[in-house]
Amino acid sequence: MRRTYTWLVLLAAFALVVAACGGDDNAEATTTTSTPVTTETFRIAVVAPSAANDLAFTQSMIDSLNVIDGEMDLEIAVTDGMFVVEDAAAAIRDYADKGYDLVIAHGSQYGGSLAEIAPDFPDTSFAWGTAAETFGLPNVYSYQAASDQGGYVMGVLAAALSKTGTLGVVGPVEVGDAKLYVDGFAAGAKAEDPAIDVKIVYTGSFSDVALASETAQAHVTAGADVLTGSAQMVVGAIGVASTEGVAWFGTQANQTQIAPDVVVASQVYHWEGVLREIIAGVQSGTLGGEAYTIDLANGGEVIEYNPGYDLPADVKAKGDAAVAGIIDGSIVVGG
Amino acid sequence: MSGLFTEAVLVATIAGGIRLAVPLLFASIGEMFGQRSGVLNLGVDGVMLLGAFGGYYTVLKTDNVWFGLLVGVGIGVVLGLVTAVMSVTLKAEQGISGIGVFLFGLGFSDLLFQMWVGTPLPIQAFPKVEIPGLSNIPFLGETLFSHSAVVYIAFAMVPLSMFIINQTNFGMKIRAVGENPEAADSLGVSVAGIRYATLIIGGTLAGVAGAALAIDLKIFQSNLTNAAGFIAIALVYFGAWRPLGVMGGALLYGFVNSIVLQLKTQGIIPRSWSDIAAMAPAVVTILALVVVAHRFKPPAALTKPFERAR
Amino acid sequence: MLEMRGITKRFPGVIACDDVSFEVYPGEVHTLLGENGAGKSTLMKIVYGLYRADEGEVFLNGEPLRITSPNQAISHGIGMIHQHFMLVPTLTVAENVALGLKSSRGALTDLDSVSARIVELGETYGLRVDPSTPVWQLSVGEQQRVEIIKALYRDAKLLILDEPTAVLTPQEVDQLFVTLRTLTAGGRGLIFISHKLHEVLSLSTRITVLRNGRVTGSIPVEGATRDSLAQMMVGRAVKFAPDGADAKPTDVALEIRGLRVLRDRGGEGVCGVDLDVRAGEIMGVAGVSGNGQMLLAETIAGLRTPTAGSIKIVGTEVVGMPPKGVRDAGLAYVPEERMKDGAIGDFTVSENILLIDHNDPRYLKHGMFDFEAIRKHAQRLVDEYTVKTPTLDTPVRNLSGGNIQKMIIARELSGTPEVLVVAQPTRGVDIGAAEYIHTRLIGQRDQATAILMISEDLDEIFGVSDRVAVMYEGQIMGIVDPNTATREQVGLMMAGVAQDEALSQPT
Repeated sequence: MRRTYTWLVLLAAFALVVAACGGDDNAEATTTTSTPVTTETFRIAVVAPSAANDLAFTQSMIDSLNVIDGEMDLEIAVTDGMFVVEDAAAAIRDYADKGYDLVIAHGSQYGGSLAEIAPDFPDTSFAWGTAAETFGLPNVYSYQAASDQGGYVMGVLAAALSKTGTLGVVGPVEVGDAKLYVDGFAAGAKAEDPAIDVKIVYTGSFSDVALASETAQAHVTAGADVLTGSAQMVVGAIGVASTEGVAWFGTQANQTQIAPDVVVASQVYHWEGVLREIIAGVQSGTLGGEAYTIDLANGGEVIEYNPGYDLPADVKAKGDAAVAGIIDGSIVVGG
Repeated sequence: MSGLFTEAVLVATIAGGIRLAVPLLFASIGEMFGQRSGVLNLGVDGVMLLGAFGGYYTVLKTDNVWFGLLVGVGIGVVLGLVTAVMSVTLKAEQGISGIGVFLFGLGFSDLLFQMWVGTPLPIQAFPKVEIPGLSNIPFLGETLFSHSAVVYIAFAMVPLSMFIINQTNFGMKIRAVGENPEAADSLGVSVAGIRYATLIIGGTLAGVAGAALAIDLKIFQSNLTNAAGFIAIALVYFGAWRPLGVMGGALLYGFVNSIVLQLKTQGIIPRSWSDIAAMAPAVVTILALVVVAHRFKPPAALTKPFERAR
Repeated sequence: MLEMRGITKRFPGVIACDDVSFEVYPGEVHTLLGENGAGKSTLMKIVYGLYRADEGEVFLNGEPLRITSPNQAISHGIGMIHQHFMLVPTLTVAENVALGLKSSRGALTDLDSVSARIVELGETYGLRVDPSTPVWQLSVGEQQRVEIIKALYRDAKLLILDEPTAVLTPQEVDQLFVTLRTLTAGGRGLIFISHKLHEVLSLSTRITVLRNGRVTGSIPVEGATRDSLAQMMVGRAVKFAPDGADAKPTDVALEIRGLRVLRDRGGEGVCGVDLDVRAGEIMGVAGVSGNGQMLLAETIAGLRTPTAGSIKIVGTEVVGMPPKGVRDAGLAYVPEERMKDGAIGDFTVSENILLIDHNDPRYLKHGMFDFEAIRKHAQRLVDEYTVKTPTLDTPVRNLSGGNIQKMIIARELSGTPEVLVVAQPTRGVDIGAAEYIHTRLIGQRDQATAILMISEDLDEIFGVSDRVAVMYEGQIMGIVDPNTATREQVGLMMAGVAQDEALSQPT
């Protein structure tokens, strides 16, 4: 228990440094502790829907790549902002054609395209997520996050923190990673306080920042004193949280820097472990076929606390208990 | 459930609707000027995005929201001028050149953001201005007279533009140029001059719309406007090219959005209906547009470049 | 007051004005007479600053005039009433007048004082019109008054009127002429552009005739006659009333009962029309533009669906049939807008001729066009109807209006139709071609075709028709015999006066 806690704090501090430095500095920050695995440059390309610094889904992958960039000799190419699947498909094919060792299609909506492209490049390895499906293709890896686990922990923390007994959730569309997170959050909140009122609103858009902002406002009006939300448009909601002075729980990336005064904690995805395994697989000749899931137990999901937020110790203890419970299996989320 | 009918919720619904209407109101009043003079400018969203980034970046660096708004104005003037050169002087096909401006704004605002800012750090918001006296009126004070300063500016545009269009020589020339540029030209009115002026007004208000949006949200992000500029263009048709109608359209859009949001928050719209309900503002606006558009004719010279015979 | 010396203006491939000299004195009406394309409008656009002359000089009150825009022309006291009104329909009368002028209230409009002056001018010159009415609500005659007021408001000393009577009823023309005479009596100079000989003779002080950009004569009105003027215009003697035996109408070939048709923008445009046209007669349809004639023609041709009523072509009900079916039933149709509905400008002459016959087995071989047969057919029609075209492969847009119209009529008549509907057969067509087209129509009538001829030109109506139906606001006001009725009577019916009342008017 104590060990887990220390480990978490260390990781959180590390992630904060990474986030604060931003960009390529991450690589320098970690080079001292890592040793190159291979002398030959390993070439990775990423195609992602939103911006590389969206403080959400896409950034989680970019940050992870930057971390392992320091450990081995990597060449990383990124094409972000590929909201249009056809454009993304063209980019994926382009990278495969240029002989990249691993092409990551970072968006569940790219699956269909990848299933068509991968067989045309049998010597190239592809990875896509978040998903569990490898299409039975020998050169496709998949990866996903058990974001409901982190969501559950956040829900416990939020319910324990709330004084009004009302929590507000700002979601995009009820699918995929966002749905998993929100469902986990609601389950965690109910587990902590069965009487809690979790108001969940899906705005219907991944990109309408103004609507996300108004949704947060509506939650506050309805009495919510703790908010959370998933996907890149939540920056609007975080702005409202900071103006109204209500607590915010983040996911997909550490959102502390957007509103240091109200962000309590963020569930952060660390794809490094998965990436290391995939790269090792490719280097040893296994181009795919494996489906990976990051979760709290394997260290792919981390709860990063905002050290500047004055979180009562008893509340935090409940969060730690939830993490431990999920890891040791005494708490089962979802299913 | 019962929460829906409390005064606080009602106030929040109306105030929220007004807030959502503000960027649309700026942009569509501006677009209305261009269209009344015969130019359909499809680039509004691009100008808004650059105005949004410019406003955001300025406030980030200076901590002064009015400088931010001013930069929005400056960006709008420049892009209005660019639009005018393309669609008036070079007589480019208005649809295509507008889409060009949109794509430029979409891409360039994101590029500058990535280069100069990177992560979306929050900025200052507009100060809230409580109108003395009026803001103390129960209910109305909270809904109408307790907003950020930019809200009042947006709504002041409505009577101002009505006055300009209906009471001034300039406005009369705009209407003439949009209906029958040959006739205006034959009386010595500079068709190109008027269209330059209206496009610069349109660009300015689009730039302000973007800056106001970014500063109100205290953030910038790629594609922040989420196509609000295109909704603004539709609202000009909806409002039958009249300031009051355009305001009605912007408010309708804002209110439907705000009401749907409150109904979702109160759980009255079940979550399974969420995505369908998200379409409500667009559907209501389109339906109203169909009803309204039948009664009013667009300016006769809309989308037609003017060329005097040799 | 105005003098033009040796004006030459060239457009690519054409000399629009060739060494033209022309002058106007205060108090006179100087008419410019000529066919379409003779150079009248070009000459006036030079005066008004819309075009620049390549050679020659213009003097105003003895001073050389160098202007490059209408604005400058206005400031020199030159006003122009364009053939197509230069009015903004959504603006009020006062706004249209005030447009482009300095306001006495600075940036704000001063419509009250403008309105007062409009009323004053209206009373002085008999140009009554309400300044606060939007222009689109005005009749064509009233709109023209606004145009004249616009010029007078700007204190025009020299007024140019480009075909001002084209859109007016005979009564409105009379009223206009009264106003114009008041203006010249006050010392203003008028340039009147027209090709209607009787109007020219009744209004002008002097007449200058243009043909192919050159002046063929300049004479005082005394001593000028219709025949002499026409000869100067065309270059040869012209017959005004085509010869031909009297009509020998037989059975009804086109039968219309209770026809009702909606306008595009709502409201009924044809309100219960009954009409019979017999084989071997030409039924003229007279009326001011926009009174339902075009809707009637398009409905007969199957281009519009009526809300009620029936149309029979030689006994076959054609309502509800597609245009092709109506054609197969025996209809030929020459539409009003020949370049929009009657021909395809970028297609060649032979392609345009083939348009209605493209499924005809005579021009197909193994399902493909038989170009040899098509050429022969086209060549035969071009020769027969004297269509002047460099080759059969010339795009139609390069032909003159008269030749395009001849080509369309040749195409439509080549199938010897039972019923021919022809709208504005000679609008914008030179006198020579018009004369030919009229002869052709009468020839077709004599081959037992029933012809419905819609025209806004009363000369044409009276010269060609065997019977005349007058349309007003979607209804037939009555059918008169052109040999006994007068222009004035038909004019009254065109303005909505009932037939009994109109025919009882003294003539």
